[in-house]
Amino acid sequence: MSTRDLVHRTGGPAPAQLADVLERVLDKGIVIAGDIQINLLDIELLTIKLRLLVASADKAKEMGIDWWHGDPFLSSRGHPGRLESRIQELEKRAGIE
Amino acid sequence: MIETTPAVGWYVFGIVPSDAAPAPGTSLVERGPLAAVAAEVSLAEFGEDVLPERLNDRAWLEEKVRVHEAVLQSFVGATPVVPLRFGAIYHDVDDVRRLLAERGERFEAVLERVTGRSEVGVKAWFDPAQVTRPAAGTGREYLQRRSKELSSARDATAVASEAHARLAAAADAAVVNRPQPRELTGRDEQMLLNGAYLVWDGDDRFATEVAHLAEEHAAAGITFELTGPWPPYNFAEDDA
Repeated sequence: MSTRDLVHRTGGPAPAQLADVLERVLDKGIVIAGDIQINLLDIELLTIKLRLLVASADKAKEMGIDWWHGDPFLSSRGHPGRLESRIQELEKRAGIE
Repeated sequence: MIETTPAVGWYVFGIVPSDAAPAPGTSLVERGPLAAVAAEVSLAEFGEDVLPERLNDRAWLEEKVRVHEAVLQSFVGATPVVPLRFGAIYHDVDDVRRLLAERGERFEAVLERVTGRSEVGVKAWFDPAQVTRPAAGTGREYLQRRSKELSSARDATAVASEAHARLAAAADAAVVNRPQPRELTGRDEQMLLNGAYLVWDGDDRFATEVAHLAEEHAAAGITFELTGPWPPYNFAEDDA
C-alpha cells in the first residue's frame, strides 16, 4: 500500500457529502448584513446561523425555524465528542468482547 | 383580481472579478472591477413570507444548497470567488449594484487574498476497532489491551491538534470547525478533526503532509480524509 492510498480522497467529480455542503453553504461565506435581516436557523449541530437578507423590502422580520427538530437525521442526541463518551464506548465494546 | 407578473428577486451566490465568465444559469451584475454572480429567482419560492416553510423542506433545502455550491464550484481553479452565504436575495438588480458599491473594497480584499489558492477540507476519523493490537488470550492480555484502547482514545484527541498544527504550517490559512456529529456523517467512526485550509494551487506540500499524517497514524486507528478543492467558504472574511 502506498502512502497516498491511506488518504481517503473525496470531492472532484463525485458529489460532495451533504454534511460538508450544508456546513459550508449555510454556515460559512460572507453574511450580507443590510437593513433587513432574518435569522432563519440556529442549529446547534452545525453551529449554523443562517441569515437571509431581503434587501429593500419594507419591513424587517425575525423568525425562528426549527426544521431540524423531529428529523431523526439531524436531531441531536447530544454531542458524542467528549473523551468521556469515547471511553464509555470503548469500555462497552471491551465488555462485549 | 388583476393578473400580475410573478415577482422575482435576484439571488446572489458570490462575487468574482468582472472579467470572469458567468457560471451556467447565472448572469454577472457588474460594477467596476467586480461582478456579482446572480440569478433571478421567483419570490413565490424565495420570498420572505414563503421561505421559512421552504427551509423546513429538507429536499428543497438540499437541492438549493447544492445549486449554490455548484455555481460557486464552477469558478474553482478558474477565477477567484468570494462565496456569500445561502440566501442573499435582492428585489432589484440596482440593489445588487449597491451591494458591490458599498462593500466593494472588502470584496476586493478577499479576492486578492484567495487568488491562486483553494480551500481544502481535512477530516481525521478515529475507529477504535482499527487500532493495531495483539490478539487477546488471557485475562491479563485482555486488561492490557483495554488499557491500550483507553489510552488510544486520549491520544487520538492529541493527534488531532498536532495534525492541525502541521497542516496549518503547510497552508496559507487554517480554520478548525466543530467535528460533525454522527447523526450528520452517518459513520460509526468518531470525527476528531474537521479542518479547512487555504492552500496554494499547485503546491504539493499540503497533500504530502496529509499523506504523512495518514501513514504515521494508521496503526492508531486514525484515518484522514481530504475534500475539495472548495470555493473559499471558510476564508471569505477579509480579516480571516
